[in-house]
Amino acid sequence: MDDIYRDLIIDRYQNPKNRGKIKGIEASEANLLCGDKLLISAEIKNGVITEIKFDGGGCAISMAAVDLLLDKIKGKKLSEIKKMSGKEVEEMMGVELTPARKKCAYLGLEVVKKLGE
Amino acid sequence: MTNFQNYKHFFPIFKNNPDLVYLDSGATTLKPQIVLDKMMEYYTKYSANIHRGIYGISEMATEEYEKSREKLRKFIGGQDGQVIFTGGTTEAINLVARGWGDKNLVEGEEIVVTEMEHHSNLIPWQELVKRKNLRLKFMTVNNYELRVTNFGKVIDKKTRLLAITQVSNVTGSVNPIKKIIEEARKINPKIVVVVDGAQAVAHRPVDLQDLGCDFYAFSGHKMYGPTGIGVLWAKEERYKEMEPIKFGGGMIAEVGLLESTFSSGVEKFEGGTPPIAEAIGMGVAVDFIEKIGMTKIKKHEEELTAYLRFKLEKVAGIKTFSAWQSGIVAMEIAGVHPHDVAQILADRGVCVRAGHHCAMPLHKALGVEATTRVSLGIYNTKEDIDKLVEGLEAVKKIFNI
Repeated sequence: MDDIYRDLIIDRYQNPKNRGKIKGIEASEANLLCGDKLLISAEIKNGVITEIKFDGGGCAISMAAVDLLLDKIKGKKLSEIKKMSGKEVEEMMGVELTPARKKCAYLGLEVVKKLGE
Repeated sequence: MTNFQNYKHFFPIFKNNPDLVYLDSGATTLKPQIVLDKMMEYYTKYSANIHRGIYGISEMATEEYEKSREKLRKFIGGQDGQVIFTGGTTEAINLVARGWGDKNLVEGEEIVVTEMEHHSNLIPWQELVKRKNLRLKFMTVNNYELRVTNFGKVIDKKTRLLAITQVSNVTGSVNPIKKIIEEARKINPKIVVVVDGAQAVAHRPVDLQDLGCDFYAFSGHKMYGPTGIGVLWAKEERYKEMEPIKFGGGMIAEVGLLESTFSSGVEKFEGGTPPIAEAIGMGVAVDFIEKIGMTKIKKHEEELTAYLRFKLEKVAGIKTFSAWQSGIVAMEIAGVHPHDVAQILADRGVCVRAGHHCAMPLHKALGVEATTRVSLGIYNTKEDIDKLVEGLEAVKKIFNI
């Protein structure tokens, strides 16, 4: 019970490291059903993400997931990121999610994959 | 606390889930055993089609189906009108919009809807307005009540239709429908009033003779009955102005290759084989409600609502959105998304709804994106509310609030 709300998740939700907006390419997605909105802006040089930020609002799971994800992908090639799976996001979070909450956790990755499209 | 009855034993779901704390009756109510038994009786004893066979079991099915219609008519005091079975409230309102609106409204006329409607009593009107070049206007909400002070500005001589919910599915506000209809008809005696009774019928007495509306829509599954069935009640004069919208079997008088005529009876609006078991089950849901007694149900829920209010108001950091007129309350814990609230409650077996509850415009008016909603039913107890409050305290602890 409450396993998914580990300290890491709550801390990243309440004190995100990668929140903000930068000049560069953007991608966004809204989950209208739950009112989540996410905008990701990134600076990409030679196919490598040099800086990346997120903005928006949503549940602790979706917001913590995207914050952790951006840590991980900074400095990586966009082509590599496009191959990432939701499972890797769950691993970063250190939790196992129910099908309904997977949708929340994967939102960030979905938007990142849209970058440059 | 004395004599506070527990009605859970009527509902078999609690045998299978003894720890279930179900606080989402606004979405759908649980089903009592007698409703399920009756549906099983249809399927095991007389599962024939209705209005067709001249053999015994078909006649039995027809009789039960029609008996259910009469029970529902009596249940809402609808003697001076017709009871049409539909797939639910949404389908019932769509039937008014297409079956009555398309035929009777003309360009330039107005429809008035309220800001607190469920999307099912808003979108059919938006679409009708587009089809017929009408105008859509709104009664706004102030402090969980409809703003009636500017009534005359919203409703005028061009207003032909007013669509309004009896009870809000978000704030539990109970609208003074009778008074609103009287006021509206002072401005325009020709105004046709459609009432969404989905959140009302299982929780308070409804008497359409007294209410004075033209159409009344409600669902089986929100009144301890099955899903997939509902009712549109239409006043006789309006009923005569309606046209069918579902064409096919079961609704015709005579069919030729190029043209057909339709039944004169209510089956004209029930084309195709209806959900027979569900219609019969919905009639037994009425029996269930009447067996307990509407006065008792209302009192039980009022006592629970008062307890819920008392307990929630003691939890610091929770903002409630409710008129406290019915057992429905939306709430917000600052800094916690409703989905996280609902998740943490779900982990404790407490079922609540998170989101906009199919009422986005109302949430906008309340100034929130989404809320967590608690809605009560006859099976709820004070212990259920205690478990909810324990869960909310856990939410606060997890989020360091």
